[in-house]
Amino acid sequence: MIDWTTAAPAVGAAFVASTVEVVEAFTIVLAVATLRSWRPALTGAGAALAVLAAVVAALGPALGLVPLHALQLVIGVLLLLFGLGWLRKAVLRAAGLMALHDEAAIFEREKAEIGGEVASGRSGDWIAGLAAFKAVLLEGLEVVFIVLAVGAGRGLMLPAAIGALAAFVVVMAAGLAVHKPLSKVPENTLKFGVGVMLSSFGVFWTSEGLGAPWPGGDLALIGLAGVFLVAGLGLVALVRPRPAEASA
Amino acid sequence: MSVLKEVLEELWSMFVGDRRLTLLALVVVALAAVIVTIFAAQAAIAAGVLLVGAVLVLADAVFAAARKTRQR
Repeated sequence: MIDWTTAAPAVGAAFVASTVEVVEAFTIVLAVATLRSWRPALTGAGAALAVLAAVVAALGPALGLVPLHALQLVIGVLLLLFGLGWLRKAVLRAAGLMALHDEAAIFEREKAEIGGEVASGRSGDWIAGLAAFKAVLLEGLEVVFIVLAVGAGRGLMLPAAIGALAAFVVVMAAGLAVHKPLSKVPENTLKFGVGVMLSSFGVFWTSEGLGAPWPGGDLALIGLAGVFLVAGLGLVALVRPRPAEASA
Repeated sequence: MSVLKEVLEELWSMFVGDRRLTLLALVVVALAAVIVTIFAAQAAIAAGVLLVGAVLVLADAVFAAARKTRQR
């Protein structure tokens, strides 16, 4: 029986983080499909998904053999590093100090790059398929890490994987329906939320792994998320250039 | 080989994208571990140190990046 107090944040984190990554991968797969055809795009993407599935199938059961406290500590520290990194970038983007992710611009750039390589005389379909493979593999690695990390500490691999799969289905359905890059998805807001959630999971599990459990058990995750959210928003306000500074 | 190289680079950047942030976060974790070892009866202190430390590491990383951007 799944305890949804614990499972809901894991599913939510996996869904939102996967949405961001699938949107980024979809942009490149679409660029490949537009430039060549759907065949190399889907072949490359499918091959990458198979590699990612193999990684999850190999690592998932292996993680079950690691003692729980050691697993929570290692995953907690990795989540903390990953989450703080995401949150840092999201804060800088929200404050206007880092460029926002522009899917439409990335789409055009990828099309130009792949088009250039194809024109250089090498096998067009091979290059296009490889571009789709790399995009899905690299973006998917983050999804795999998040699913393993938020799922392994409490035996929630399946709910976390369902969250990621749901994001994949939603983004693919939306992308294939509009047939253009999903530039209207509020990626930075989602990344801000994911950074908050992953940092909270990171602190929570590192602490549990060290043998310092939080009062209130899993409910403490909500309080931790609140602290990171307030800290993140406060930092945005503190570093955002003032009007005079921005116009200088 | 280039795909493998890119995969390794991606994995590295996932956790060590900002070296200063990574180093300071590991120092905070080490500090919390020391506190748990010395004050085993009051492990909650370590949890608090971990949370406050993580927020301070985030603030440091954001301020450092903001400073760098303004100097450009």
